[in-house]
Amino acid sequence: MKITENLIWELSNKAINTLGESASPDKIREFVENEIAKMTGSNQTGTEKFQGRVILTSFGVNRPGIVAKITGVLAELNCDLQDISQKIMQEFYTLIMMIDITNSPKNFREIQEELNKVSAEMNIKIFVQHEDIFQYMFRI
Amino acid sequence: MNFEFEEILETIKMTEIENFDIRTVTMGINLRDCIDRNIKVTVSKIYEKITRFAGNHVKNADEIEKRFGIKITNKRVSLTPIAIIGDAFKRDEFIQIAEIMDKAAHEIGIDYIGGYSALVQKGISPGEKEFIESIPYALASTKKVCSSVNIGSTKAGINIDAVIKMAQVIKDTAYITRESLSIGCAKLVVFCNAVEDNPFIAGAFHGVSEPDVVINTGVSGPGVVLNAIKKYPDADFRTLAEIIKKTAFKITRAGELIGRKVAEKNGVEFGIIDVSLAPTPAEGDSIADIIKAMGLEDVGAPGTTAALALLNDCVKKGGLMASSSVGGLSGAFIPVSEDAGMISAVEKGHLTIEKLEAMTSVCSVGLDMVAIPGDTPVTTIAGIIADEAAIGLINDKTTAVRLIPAFGKVEGDSVDYGGLLGKAPIMAVKRLSSDKFFARGGRIPAPTRSLTN
Repeated sequence: MKITENLIWELSNKAINTLGESASPDKIREFVENEIAKMTGSNQTGTEKFQGRVILTSFGVNRPGIVAKITGVLAELNCDLQDISQKIMQEFYTLIMMIDITNSPKNFREIQEELNKVSAEMNIKIFVQHEDIFQYMFRI
Repeated sequence: MNFEFEEILETIKMTEIENFDIRTVTMGINLRDCIDRNIKVTVSKIYEKITRFAGNHVKNADEIEKRFGIKITNKRVSLTPIAIIGDAFKRDEFIQIAEIMDKAAHEIGIDYIGGYSALVQKGISPGEKEFIESIPYALASTKKVCSSVNIGSTKAGINIDAVIKMAQVIKDTAYITRESLSIGCAKLVVFCNAVEDNPFIAGAFHGVSEPDVVINTGVSGPGVVLNAIKKYPDADFRTLAEIIKKTAFKITRAGELIGRKVAEKNGVEFGIIDVSLAPTPAEGDSIADIIKAMGLEDVGAPGTTAALALLNDCVKKGGLMASSSVGGLSGAFIPVSEDAGMISAVEKGHLTIEKLEAMTSVCSVGLDMVAIPGDTPVTTIAGIIADEAAIGLINDKTTAVRLIPAFGKVEGDSVDYGGLLGKAPIMAVKRLSSDKFFARGGRIPAPTRSLTN
């Protein structure tokens, strides 16, 4: 929803008509702001869900249970693990997963926060990024 | 998987180790609909329009940053040149506009707001004269407002009267903000051939031919280019060019994606991506280090200008291939104080202001964040501005001057602003007089290059 000068003008007129005698600049402002908040609704909260796949990258010192821990959290969040690949170099591991989060009840930010908890608990690095960034950088 | 293991790791390495970031996402806002002959009405309209469109700018950019895992370092706003919308006002009224810009910038949480600007390349109107006189006070009484003035263009020539005025303004700004190391000068740029869609502060303004509201992005990434070059210490120049192009391509693609998404989230148009290598004082995020990695002992060594020309050209080529929306300044920036390698070259005496001037003829911008002795005469500053403008004028390119005649400081001292502005060592300036030259006044006519029709 686009907020134009005209819309504000109309809302201000509406405010003046509704408020009548009691109209003051502050009251009109408040009225107009409330109306706009109603119209834009969830758009302003900035936490809307998005469709699509994300890429999870993790590194750290290898030890048993890392994949189990991460996939456990993803399963709880109803994320669909579509591909997984890993490499071990000496005591370090690198792990990449492609995950579809479309059906998760949580939004991207919340999923990221859950995985941050795993990252802190296991003392490993976890990055979660939308796949578009890789699409843009490496594919023409 | 659609992507190779190495590709994904490369991106992570760029962002986590090589300081790759989107340097700025700048929202350009047209203020021509805020014009009113009453200053009170004008300032309230300006405040209202900035907060209405850019109110969620920072929040939206943060959201996109999280989603793609690419850091957006700065969120900024640029405005229609204030001299245009306030042509009927006097000096004190212009200062009120600067103050409301500062208030709006604080309110929406951005770090700088650009557009306290005037375009006087061909002549100065009475309103523009008042505006230019207001600049030192406006910069002293605000924290986040940035100012720029265009004094020349290939089509119009160089307005020497404006050059002299701006030299005086720079000097006055240094004096008025002397308590804080003349920091006002770090927020003031003098341009030749200024571009209308530049997202980079301090020179950003929203040109009159731009749409109502637009998002422009500026990418960075000297660290990424540096590491790519370091991997091939013996490659010949053609191979080196390829490496830089490929790196610039990837950086630009990432920048365009981020810019488009931020624009979409704000519900406004996406404008341009400025493919500039902008250094920061951080270790390894340096243009000087790139030049050294190409095989020169230090910046300032013979070969420096050629190295910079190669770098600048390849960045552009890679960028152009990656996006159809490349604009702004697009090149390599060589600010002294914001680049650890440049600071060290100046301190060791390897880099002089004259060599810097030569370097600016092959890269974007110009003498940027260069501190000079506080007692440098106005005509000498005018001379430095005019020389730089002449390079822009003849070569049909943007050049800029951001000089800091740091009050009370002499060669060998330095001014340290911290943060992105960094530390500027005071550079020596030739003590030869330019007084008689500038006493002539007037305008240097447009060059033959202006007659392209």
